Amino acid sequence: MQFRLEKRREPSKVMVYATPVAAVVLTMVVGAIIFSLIGYDGVGAVREIFLTPLTNSFKWQDLGVKAAPLIIIGVGLSISYRANVWNIGAEGQYIIGGLAATWVALATHGMTGWWILPTMFVAGMLGGAAYASIPALLKTRLNVNEILTSLMLTYASVQLIYYLVRAPWKDPMGMGFPQTRIFSEAARLPTLIPGTIVHLGVPIAIVVALIAWFIMSRSVFGYRMRVVGAAPHAARYGGFSENKTIWLALLVSGGLAGMAGMLEVAGPFQRMVPGFPTNYGFTAIIVAFLGRLNPLGVIFAGIVMAITFVGGEVAQTTIGLSSSATGVFQAMMLFFLLAGDILIRYRIKRVVPAAEVRA
Amino acid sequence: MTLSRRNVLKAGAAAAALPLLGTKAFAQTEPLKVGFMLIGTPNDNGWNYGHATGAKFMKDTLGDLVAEPTIVENVPEGPDCERVLRELAQSGHKLIFATSFGYGDYVIKVAQQFPDVKFEHATGYQRSDNVATYNARFHEGRAVCGTIAGHLSKTGKAGYIGSFPIPEVVMGINAFVLAARKVNPEFTITPVYISTWNDPAKEADADRAMIDQGIDIIAQHTDGPAALQVAEERGIVGGFGQGADMAAFAPKAQLTSIIDHWGPTYVQSAQAVIDGTWTSADRWPGLKEGEVQIGPYNESIPADVVAAAEAVKNGQIDGSFNIFTGPINDHTGAEKVAAGVTLTDAELLSMDWYVEGVNPPA
Amino acid sequence: MSPELIIAIIVTVVGASTPILIAALGELVVERSGVLNLGVEGMMLVGAITAFVVVFLTGNHYLAILLAAAAGLGTSLIFGFLTLSLSANQTATGLALTIFGTGFSALAGQGYSARPVTLLGPLFPSELATHPIWRVLFGYSALVYFALIMVVAIWWFLKKTRAGLILRAVGENDLSAHSIGYSVIGVRYLAVMFGGAMAGIAGACFPLLLTPQWAERMTAGRGWIAVALVVFASWRPFRLLAGAYLFGLVMTMELYAKAGGGPLSVVPSELWAALPYLATVAVLVLISIRRDASTNAPACLGKPFLPSN
Repeated sequence: MQFRLEKRREPSKVMVYATPVAAVVLTMVVGAIIFSLIGYDGVGAVREIFLTPLTNSFKWQDLGVKAAPLIIIGVGLSISYRANVWNIGAEGQYIIGGLAATWVALATHGMTGWWILPTMFVAGMLGGAAYASIPALLKTRLNVNEILTSLMLTYASVQLIYYLVRAPWKDPMGMGFPQTRIFSEAARLPTLIPGTIVHLGVPIAIVVALIAWFIMSRSVFGYRMRVVGAAPHAARYGGFSENKTIWLALLVSGGLAGMAGMLEVAGPFQRMVPGFPTNYGFTAIIVAFLGRLNPLGVIFAGIVMAITFVGGEVAQTTIGLSSSATGVFQAMMLFFLLAGDILIRYRIKRVVPAAEVRA
Repeated sequence: MTLSRRNVLKAGAAAAALPLLGTKAFAQTEPLKVGFMLIGTPNDNGWNYGHATGAKFMKDTLGDLVAEPTIVENVPEGPDCERVLRELAQSGHKLIFATSFGYGDYVIKVAQQFPDVKFEHATGYQRSDNVATYNARFHEGRAVCGTIAGHLSKTGKAGYIGSFPIPEVVMGINAFVLAARKVNPEFTITPVYISTWNDPAKEADADRAMIDQGIDIIAQHTDGPAALQVAEERGIVGGFGQGADMAAFAPKAQLTSIIDHWGPTYVQSAQAVIDGTWTSADRWPGLKEGEVQIGPYNESIPADVVAAAEAVKNGQIDGSFNIFTGPINDHTGAEKVAAGVTLTDAELLSMDWYVEGVNPPA
Repeated sequence: MSPELIIAIIVTVVGASTPILIAALGELVVERSGVLNLGVEGMMLVGAITAFVVVFLTGNHYLAILLAAAAGLGTSLIFGFLTLSLSANQTATGLALTIFGTGFSALAGQGYSARPVTLLGPLFPSELATHPIWRVLFGYSALVYFALIMVVAIWWFLKKTRAGLILRAVGENDLSAHSIGYSVIGVRYLAVMFGGAMAGIAGACFPLLLTPQWAERMTAGRGWIAVALVVFASWRPFRLLAGAYLFGLVMTMELYAKAGGGPLSVVPSELWAALPYLATVAVLVLISIRRDASTNAPACLGKPFLPSN
């Protein structure tokens, strides 16, 4: 190898902003070439997936609605990951949050009142936080790896939805289909802009990200999370309890995932269905990294991911590009983004061939 | 590496769509753009394949009157489908078929925003001024299969792999066993619900589990040929193709198949939109209209059994025979439908009970 | 239950367990080296479509298995390059790899779905498997025996060989392994490639062992069960074997219970499906309570190796 990586003294500010942009551009160029080579309309695919959602103003509402849950969950995860707490079960916490909100909606079915939505909101957050407290408890008490427990619990929670909508919560008027009844008016999120699908979750996502950014960069809490993540020894020295940090990280990320679950079920879904888990929790892990674990970066990353989802459907309708091709595009973009990460902390340096070389 | 049908479709769709990008006014003289929204991909050999084939039939029949159909695949039942529906409507599609039950809420919602676009929702029940519903009387085909099963089964036991216990599936199980018991009054059937529409390995294992416990006929209401392949491997009496002819997967074991032929109904709807005569309705055609067809009978089936199956088929086509005419007992043996009474469509569409001969799932 | 039924159940359980066993064995070696690759499901799908296409075109099942292994290995190199050479986050890269494998396999498989192939037949001549008892031992295809041999081979490798010791050292303490001169990255590359090849073979089990067709996403989440299984087995090959058959039993008993009636058939299918994951959490708790050092997760699991830190 003629190049080697050399650690930068300071993470590169330029690269933090340049690499995501470069990755997206690279995906567009490489994607267009590869897809043209294997017999697709490569240029058309890139245009429809990446550009049409931005240039067609009808698609903006879709971007907002699709990005909102990704941003809310991604913000929570970025806080948790900053503290070196690896919650990868946000999908499960999102599901339990959605189920908790559904429970409130079904219990208050037919009632009216302004208090129903806030109750669902709180229930959703509590549900997500409660589910995240299982890995927190196991981690702090028994030192059980939170990556593994949170992932396992996600798969169990998917089955819980299937069970609830098939048996106890099944819509009595639903012709036997496994889904709950549609929520009453009072349990549905209002549309913010008439004539669009933009619901309250979209501004909430932005507010959540801004608050998180402020807290992480300006408060003791944020300082604690960052210090524990970056230098656990120093943190212990400084009197920050590691267990308390683990609890905070999981409760915050779980609570936000639960909030996203509530907003999705009360907004776009308006009832609980087996299709409720749409991988937002997993996609948000990628979003958190794309956003460089920075709440403001997460907004950008959430929108980029939303573009590829929305654009993928545009490409299907306009140029007949299959959904699997969109998946390949998405994966390619993620690979480039993840690969670009290294340029923030390292610089590429040519080495003299005679030097001892390590991969 | 890609199937030529897909390439043709793609090239056509691209050519047709490009000049129409955006939301320009749509002149009547241009070919009608028809969109199809699928829950899976046309490669499933079953449900989605049937709809894609129907779309192609529509194009072949109507020629220049319609543009190459636009097929959007792998659309989940949820908010994502709302976006796809709007995308189709905004890009000039004047007739949109939504081919899975879970799309219902969103079809109604989007249809309100696009009053000049006609929507048709397969297997659904919610309608509005510009939303029609349609389905096929698959249970008529099940009655034909059940007749064959009653004749050929040596153990008198059949298995039935279902996805979820929804009326459409329950109806099919009941029709199957009612027909089989007209031949063999001791015939029983065990439904196993696997809670998914497409997990081939699980379907295959469910089939193995039933064969190991004595069934020698298998029927399924899931989307692929996995169960039939196990039947072929194990050499049991056989099974039935679902949605499409699956003889390629199980040349010996597939006794016959129920084929979904959505083509004619798609032609009819597209023609109605072109003529300006489209109205919202609920269509539920079956064998008589050719929307449900019985595939070729396996050569191994004796002639008298084929004749009996044909009799059941023809009786349903000319209206002289209805599988849901009483007396019908429920699975406990209590009379549910009196002699001479026929269940109404509404009763069928909400069917949640099993007839005698079904070992009801827990 | 008659003996015939018990034997039939065993045969089905072995079939259902084999792909998760093979994939989990690969992942076990990967995790023992300190790397967490969550892209198992994606690599399995790439292996499944490769095996299908090869057997469709050539009819040669063994060539199909070989090329499926190569395809899985190739896919794992994407993961290896990003996480090892570029020290990208393993969790995010693994998830991206699953997205890639799902999309790529579906793209490559377009046009192959309406094509049947044949299963890989039993390894031993059928005369050996005429009696039901012998069928339990000699009635399977080579993939089943391959999985069993690999259990022993991996146990032997990890426990008895110098190379295995190095691999474990790298997973337990990468910095000291590095300081005494082992190439941490090199070892991990080999482990990741092995895991990819095994996942590819596990994917090949779907068209060659279980259901001779290609269907998109036909692995239906079993890659994730394999990930759970590694943890359930606390990173030990023989426990993995037992765990795989236990998971296979749970997956198939649901179907047998429903098909045959009886007391177990009232258990909701969702509980059956959730059991492997809940059991895995329970095992994690148990091994932590026992604080048995040999059953703990590899200390470096999921953490990038940054020697210059």
